[in-house]
Amino acid sequence: MIDDEDLEQRVQRLLSQATHAYRGNRAAAGVLEEAATRLAEPLRVVVAGTPNSGKSTLVNALIGEDVAPAAPTDGPSAFTSYQDGPAPRAWWFAEDQRPHEVAMVRTTPGLRLSTGAAQRTASGATRRAVIEWPSRTLRRTRLIDTGRLEARDVFREADAVLYLTTHLDDADLSFLWAGRGLRGPSVFPVHTIVVLSRADATSGGRADAMLTARQLARRRRREPRVGTLCQDVIAVSPLVGHAARTLREEEFRVLAELAAWPRASLEPHLLSVDRFTAPGALPGVTAEQRDQLVRRLGLGGLRLAVTLTRTGCATRAALAEKLQEYSGLKDLQSAVAELFTTRRAALKARSALTVLDQLLRTEPAPGLGEQLAEIELLSADLHPFRELRLLSALRSGRVDLAPESAADARRLLGGTGTSVGERLGMPAEASTDDIYTAAYAAAERWRQESHRPDTSAAQRRAAAVVLRSCDMIIEWLAGTQVL
Amino acid sequence: MTSWEAGPTAYAGPTSLVPLSRAVPDPLRAAAPLSWLDVMDATIRTCSAHGRAEIANWLSRRRTRMLEPQLRVLVAGAARQGKSQLINAMINATVCGVPDHGGTTVPAVIRHADIPEAQLIRRDSPSADWTGDAGLRDRIPLAVDGLDRAITQAAATLPATAPLHADIGVPRTLLARGLVLIDTPPLTGLPGSEADAVAEARELTTGAGADLVLFTCETGRDLSDAELAVLADLSRLFPALLVVLTKADYSPDWRQHLARSREQLTHAGVPATVAAVSSSLRLHAVKAGDAGLNTESGFPDLILHLQRMLAAKPDQLAPAMAAVLSRTVLERLAKPLRAELTAEQAGDATEAVARLHATQRRLDDLRRCAQRWQNRLSDEVGDLMSDIEHDLRERTRAVLTEADEFFTTADPAKEWDEFEPWLRDAVEELTRASVTWLAERAQWMARKVADEFPADAGDVLPAQMLAVPDDFGGNAGGLDAPPVASFSPGQKLFIGLKGSYGGVIMFGLATSLAGMSLINPISIGGGALFGSKSIRDEGKALLKRRQAEARTIVQRHVDEIFVRLTKDARDTVRRIQRSLRDHFTAVTEDLQEAVMESLRSAKAAADREVAVREQRARGIQQELAQLSALNQQAQALRGGPSPAALAGSAAS
Repeated sequence: MIDDEDLEQRVQRLLSQATHAYRGNRAAAGVLEEAATRLAEPLRVVVAGTPNSGKSTLVNALIGEDVAPAAPTDGPSAFTSYQDGPAPRAWWFAEDQRPHEVAMVRTTPGLRLSTGAAQRTASGATRRAVIEWPSRTLRRTRLIDTGRLEARDVFREADAVLYLTTHLDDADLSFLWAGRGLRGPSVFPVHTIVVLSRADATSGGRADAMLTARQLARRRRREPRVGTLCQDVIAVSPLVGHAARTLREEEFRVLAELAAWPRASLEPHLLSVDRFTAPGALPGVTAEQRDQLVRRLGLGGLRLAVTLTRTGCATRAALAEKLQEYSGLKDLQSAVAELFTTRRAALKARSALTVLDQLLRTEPAPGLGEQLAEIELLSADLHPFRELRLLSALRSGRVDLAPESAADARRLLGGTGTSVGERLGMPAEASTDDIYTAAYAAAERWRQESHRPDTSAAQRRAAAVVLRSCDMIIEWLAGTQVL
Repeated sequence: MTSWEAGPTAYAGPTSLVPLSRAVPDPLRAAAPLSWLDVMDATIRTCSAHGRAEIANWLSRRRTRMLEPQLRVLVAGAARQGKSQLINAMINATVCGVPDHGGTTVPAVIRHADIPEAQLIRRDSPSADWTGDAGLRDRIPLAVDGLDRAITQAAATLPATAPLHADIGVPRTLLARGLVLIDTPPLTGLPGSEADAVAEARELTTGAGADLVLFTCETGRDLSDAELAVLADLSRLFPALLVVLTKADYSPDWRQHLARSREQLTHAGVPATVAAVSSSLRLHAVKAGDAGLNTESGFPDLILHLQRMLAAKPDQLAPAMAAVLSRTVLERLAKPLRAELTAEQAGDATEAVARLHATQRRLDDLRRCAQRWQNRLSDEVGDLMSDIEHDLRERTRAVLTEADEFFTTADPAKEWDEFEPWLRDAVEELTRASVTWLAERAQWMARKVADEFPADAGDVLPAQMLAVPDDFGGNAGGLDAPPVASFSPGQKLFIGLKGSYGGVIMFGLATSLAGMSLINPISIGGGALFGSKSIRDEGKALLKRRQAEARTIVQRHVDEIFVRLTKDARDTVRRIQRSLRDHFTAVTEDLQEAVMESLRSAKAAADREVAVREQRARGIQQELAQLSALNQQAQALRGGPSPAALAGSAAS
């Protein structure tokens, strides 16, 4: 929908009608109240994945600080939510207790929350920590780090999911299946991005490991069974990405010193971690520095960083920038921006409608038939989801359009921003007439595109979706004109 | 990367890299233990004897394999754990696929050959032995260059379910002495569901005829629970498990991981040798010809270990294998036996014992019932006696009342003939009613008593009901009329004259006053009047006397009848009681006899069964003892040098 506010209002209206219908049912009222609260909150992006797949490192890499993992003193929490705030603070929601603020200490990996000696009760309730941290990244989204969790719990908590895995095997796919509903608003898998998180170690961690990993990811995202479960598959090395975002001047100095070595004499030392950290192996850099460096970057990241430094990254900032690019972090950030952040309204609506749909069907209340119909209508008509799916298909190459058409389509679909100006690619100072002309031109262009006989069915379907977006732009323009 | 340490429970085989001094053969010990072949044969025979032909068959296959000079090393593990890369690095040739190109899909057997050769072999069935001969039609020759792609292409032409493996020969001195490496596709269940993975690992190792399993796991993570389960299962089939942590070059903490893996295996009770290697270092080293780097890769030790195993196969590996296999198999044989033994000893109530108990209960029931029916019979008879007397009394009284009423008006002299038949009828009626009633009561009583018998005794009522005797109450006989005092005309005349005398005198005196003579018509009339009144009065008095007499006679008669009837009724009841008692006593005796008989037979059956059970339990214990003895012999094969000695001598 071009008009995010309209979508939000419709969902809100549905929620308030349902709240009215379910008054007296405490459980249902609680669920609805939570859904309404969530609707107004920033987007919840949950970072989930197999154990040891680098979830906390990725959270750190995205925030650009050493905050994760946040370890409560009385045992692990199911969810750790990171959100924007004026100053670093931490809250602890233990089971059956009122949330209370706790003290936190920065340690080498992440934060330590002094939640006190716990009176551990039945572990049925969810234990969660909420960390407020001033960060630009967190302004429009909340990042939620998870422990060992069932798929159901993860997807219930999330508006969008970053699923980390090292290989994306059958177990991972069945996890993702659990997040896809069979009916209603949850059938669109628009809320998941899969992250292949061991990019730096691909093919033994050679310098070209990242490229290989990227190719692998591209191959995986074209697989139909993967494509039906997520929006994108991106190869990322959270380790390298995190190191790049928090690269210190001192570390850069060490890297520069290493890069200054002749290639042939440095190479044998980069063959294994043991060789690199062996005492007295590389004079000029202490063994301790080397050990820290290899732990920060990993062997593959180290090789990459040395190569990059050698081939022209002369400053810390330049190297950090390059490393971020190579680690796949930039890809991930842009994908999150394009598929999640700018689509906040659609994803929020999806979460709320899924909750509502389930509630209406499991506990039917009198006089809600109309609302079920409205939900059906909303989810059948959720053009934003179709736009997102098409964007995903364009990204992964499941649908290929001519390069200029693809760029045009992506813009019109809201891949670069969902406002009308951004969709039409018009500057902010453009006149109303210009906008009208551009919109009609785009609509005409895609109308023809959707009827071209020499294209495949998939391409025509894609064109029809873009055309629908154009129509909605025109509709919206007409609406504002009247006002 | 030379770390060859064995966990505390690790396999006692030749994990050492330093040659051991040959132990001096002990003549006493040497004589006692059986050779491993004997143990294997004994185990196979035991399997057959226990009707486990499939295990016997499987053991025979393993036995055959153990006699082969080859050492077949199966490389197994989850996906992307560096299995193929390990083999490639070991023989320095790209024969196995690596994950970047799709991973291993078809198992490959890599052996020595003078010139490189490769073929894809299609087996008859999934369970067929890989080492069996394949016909010409089942062999597809493969191009040696680009083997990975060649295998994929050739496999694509065959049905997806066809059991396939590649047979690859490479000229390597490493393999020349009989070392065979087997690359396998990832175990499907890992890392999630262990049941699948365990089953698949068993199938793979059996089919491939492996002598040694090399399980790979990448450094940098712990062994998962499913992997540990697979290893635990394999350790029951293979004495010399080898867990190799790959990609050791990449992890800063590989030494900690090595220690941790060892700890995990020890904790899980899996005897295995753990090592860490780096395939990429080995490949670099071979390319650069760098011996130092080669040593760092950990491969020389791994290769040495494998060669040692190969050399030690007939002397140490085979006996150890026999010991492990015998133990596993014997345990499996013993398990159902033990379960059966426990069941026997728990002594679950079997059918025979249950029947014995039921029969005993029935006998007790019968005894109680005999007491009960006797009480019931005497109670009923007492009731019947009093009832019948009362009933007779009632009836006779009714007859008498009617007769009395009759005689208040009727003149017995005149109406006796009418009365007498009525009385006879009434008495007969009374007798008949009593007889019927008595018969009914007797029947009812018999039923009541029969009800006291248990339901399963069947119909215990007497076959024919005791009839009331025909001469019940005897013949009432006729009743003669009471003697009638006759009132003859002479008497009438006399009484009339006597009465008229007074009248004549009375009226004659009265009229004489009037001057008439004493005898005048008036006094004669008065005399006649008085005379006739006297005659009438006399007649009435006579009637009264007759009626009273008749009543007395009838009463006496009826009383007699009552007494007789009562007597007869009592007699009859007694007779009935006697005959019922005789009948039911006989029935009870019959029943008791039958129950005693079945009790005897049930007891005999139960005794027999207990005997059979005991015999079976003894048999099972004997069998278990045999199995345990065989197991001890098998475990004795592992004697030799103690594990500690070997572990202590591990190279650093």
